[in-house]
Amino acid sequence: MTILDILRAGVTTASAEETRSYGAQLAAALPRDATLALHGDLGVGKTTFVQGLAQGLGLSARVTSPTFNILHLYRNSSALPGPVEGNTDPPLPHHRNLPLRRSDTRGLTLVHLDAYRLENAHQIAALMLDDFLVSPYCLAVEWPERIADWLPAETWHLTLAIESPGRHRLTLV
Amino acid sequence: MILALESSCDETALALFDPARGLTRELVHSQVALHGRYGGVVPDLATREHLRNFPPLLERLREEGELAAVTAVAVTHGPGLAGCLAIGLAAAKALALERRVPLWGVNHLRGHAWSSFIALQAADPPAFDERIERWLPHLGLIVSGGNTLLFAIDHGRRIAVQSATRDDAAGEALDKGAKLLGLGYPGGPLIEQRALAGRTDAYDFPRGIQPSGDLSFSFSGLKTSLRYLVEKLGPAEVTARLDDLCASYQQAVIDALVRKTAAALDRGGYTSLGLSGGVSHNRKLRAALEKTAQRRGVTFLAAQPQHTGDNAGMIAFAAWCDPAGCVRDDHSGLSIQPDLALG
Repeated sequence: MTILDILRAGVTTASAEETRSYGAQLAAALPRDATLALHGDLGVGKTTFVQGLAQGLGLSARVTSPTFNILHLYRNSSALPGPVEGNTDPPLPHHRNLPLRRSDTRGLTLVHLDAYRLENAHQIAALMLDDFLVSPYCLAVEWPERIADWLPAETWHLTLAIESPGRHRLTLV
Repeated sequence: MILALESSCDETALALFDPARGLTRELVHSQVALHGRYGGVVPDLATREHLRNFPPLLERLREEGELAAVTAVAVTHGPGLAGCLAIGLAAAKALALERRVPLWGVNHLRGHAWSSFIALQAADPPAFDERIERWLPHLGLIVSGGNTLLFAIDHGRRIAVQSATRDDAAGEALDKGAKLLGLGYPGGPLIEQRALAGRTDAYDFPRGIQPSGDLSFSFSGLKTSLRYLVEKLGPAEVTARLDDLCASYQQAVIDALVRKTAAALDRGGYTSLGLSGGVSHNRKLRAALEKTAQRRGVTFLAAQPQHTGDNAGMIAFAAWCDPAGCVRDDHSGLSIQPDLALG
């Protein structure tokens, strides 16, 4: 079974480390410039999953909760050093169906968004989010239902829930 | 005279710093009441509010005749919300151009890092450069909604991050805890209030099991354990035991902060301990860390209450005290950096 089959069937994790490992495995299966929506209530492991995603994308930075700042950016610094200047270069054409191999993650930006306090596109504009979504990127969105209209049609959806204390369920929809 | 502007999140603030006198003027317009309804800062509302609030605040300084003496402008250029930072930076660039004075970009976290020294400078401005030597090397703890950081400042006034949170910030743990308990926003002060009447040992929350050599913080597991507990107790019991829940939960956050800070102090060499950031307003945390410092013969320097939250006073002070940590705006190239880190 591939990681996609496993997550589509649904898995139960017994530790934060296990949740992270599924995040890392999913990273390898996501196409370039993917948007991943993480559905689930407070404390189910959304940020923990994104920590694994970052590992899988070859990012060494420590991923922390984006709740306060709403938006966190992590860049793979092995290529294209320096800040991403959103408006200076035209965006590269999107290749949404190409799998994102590890060798393609040079210069990749992981954009980690907490949409809890967002309700519409105006609020996304105030974050200048479009300026930071320069290919190749991976956008992970917590509380995606708040900006459901804004999310691309090809968004991947993962639900997280607590089965019982210490046991969390992950399902790719 | 340095004029500083701060607009990284929900406070629009201006301050004037005169090296010979300290902070001479501080103006702040808070949006807490506006965002309270939404359970936190809403980016586009915050951006528009900054746009609305800067002109009257600046006008007031102009009417007071203060702007004529300005020799440099300092502005927070990160970290923070992009739109909010952009408004402050645009206003600062316009002011610097109009006054024909240099513009400096200041890291908001450096502002917090230096804020513990503001009172020391104000007490005796001419002696500050000599007196600060006694408090270096310094260990500082920044605790806010978005950050939990231990850092050191050496004799060369260089800042080096010692540790940070692995997941949630301390202030976030309190805000989210308040949300799980059905309290409002901002959650930290509400929990603190409730905790006064509760028992800190009523519930046993995990303090995190990490190797003793690891100074990093983690609050995500604590938040999840509160969620498990809230579901186990049920709404009626949570309401009935709210004071105890708040007291025990807050104590777990404070214990984690104190334990790691004490471990960092015990590595030795520090002559002072600083505490700053919005959560440093918490009285119990202040008292616990003061005791931690005293036991080790280390001077405790906490930011004054008016400088714990976001403020422009700390930005002006950092621009003066730590110019090497600031970015000079050459040829108008200074830009916002929403994800700027400390160090």
